[in-house]
Amino acid sequence: MKAIAIKIFVAVLVVVFTSANLVHANDDDFKSVVKMIEQFYRVKQVGIPFLAKAGMKVATTAARIRGGEAKRIAEAGSIKLAVFQNQDFDGDFTKFRASLNEALNVTWMPLIQTLSARNEEQVYIFLKNAGDKFNVLVITIEQREATVVQVTLSPKNLALLLKDPEGTGKAITQEATINDQE
Amino acid sequence: MKSLFRINIRTSLIAMLLIVMPALVAKAQDSRIQMGVLDHLAAKASQTVDVNVDERLMKLASKVFSDQDADEKEVKKMVAGLKGIYVKSFEFDVDGQYATADVESIRSQLRGPGWTRLVNVTSRKEGNLEVYLLFNGEQVGGLAVLHTDDRELTVVNIVGPVDLDKLAKLEGQFGVPEMGIEQEKPKTKNDEK
Repeated sequence: MKAIAIKIFVAVLVVVFTSANLVHANDDDFKSVVKMIEQFYRVKQVGIPFLAKAGMKVATTAARIRGGEAKRIAEAGSIKLAVFQNQDFDGDFTKFRASLNEALNVTWMPLIQTLSARNEEQVYIFLKNAGDKFNVLVITIEQREATVVQVTLSPKNLALLLKDPEGTGKAITQEATINDQE
Repeated sequence: MKSLFRINIRTSLIAMLLIVMPALVAKAQDSRIQMGVLDHLAAKASQTVDVNVDERLMKLASKVFSDQDADEKEVKKMVAGLKGIYVKSFEFDVDGQYATADVESIRSQLRGPGWTRLVNVTSRKEGNLEVYLLFNGEQVGGLAVLHTDDRELTVVNIVGPVDLDKLAKLEGQFGVPEMGIEQEKPKTKNDEK
């Protein structure tokens, strides 16, 4: 009787832990980061109706970085983008950085983090495996605007990012948010 | 009964050694410097750069660089065997924003067993440059660079087999800053004449 009770207890524990891990794995970190920015800085994101167009722009970035033929850097349809414009991002960036790292460090690998008090700019780049490809999360916060970009990269384009994380990360964000009129 | 007791003690001692030895070996080979002690400087710095290319990313790097492309092949060769690249760099708008204790928190780790300071290394950049290598026996297990200036504090830590040539090639890549490191060539008899 005691043995059965122990087995049931172990089975319940396994179910509880497994489901907890599944919930964690299914968490949408992109949305969490957007929400974190909204709550920390008390700002609201702007709707982006042309995500596909942003994807095309990212492709041209890759071509420019490589200095040659046009080649997409982000995998087709993989771009998630959130933009914050004309809002104040006042707050202790060291505290924001600590919260961000705490939230993402379990599932994402922090690649590079640049904080510039001089230019009031923060750039964070995180990476994680996505099967045989890689997810990249680039968070850029400036004085009056911020962007969160998540893309999927092929191993070949990951090489580009690893070689020059800061330059490639910034270029991805700039191109993903570029205005067609510019 | 007495012999059984002795066998038990011997078995326990062997088991303990088996558990403890790998940990001791790992400790001896660990060239990762703890740089988190410097994090508080980010609040005073005008520019902070924090690079973490850990073992997982190094493994990825060695896989994603192609053998077909000459440039990528060179990078792949360069990062082969490396277990991590870590950088913390702070720039300040005014002098004296970091304390001697901050630098000492890094130096004290580099005084640990196995670390040797290279004396024949200079930088084209202004300021004070210190380069340290960690030797595990005759093999290099890691490298640390400490660059200090009135308005700058940079620590670079490369874990794994690395030499100065490799470091020079890594400058400007993988988030490693340009430090202008140069190794003075040993003087030959002809130079002395």
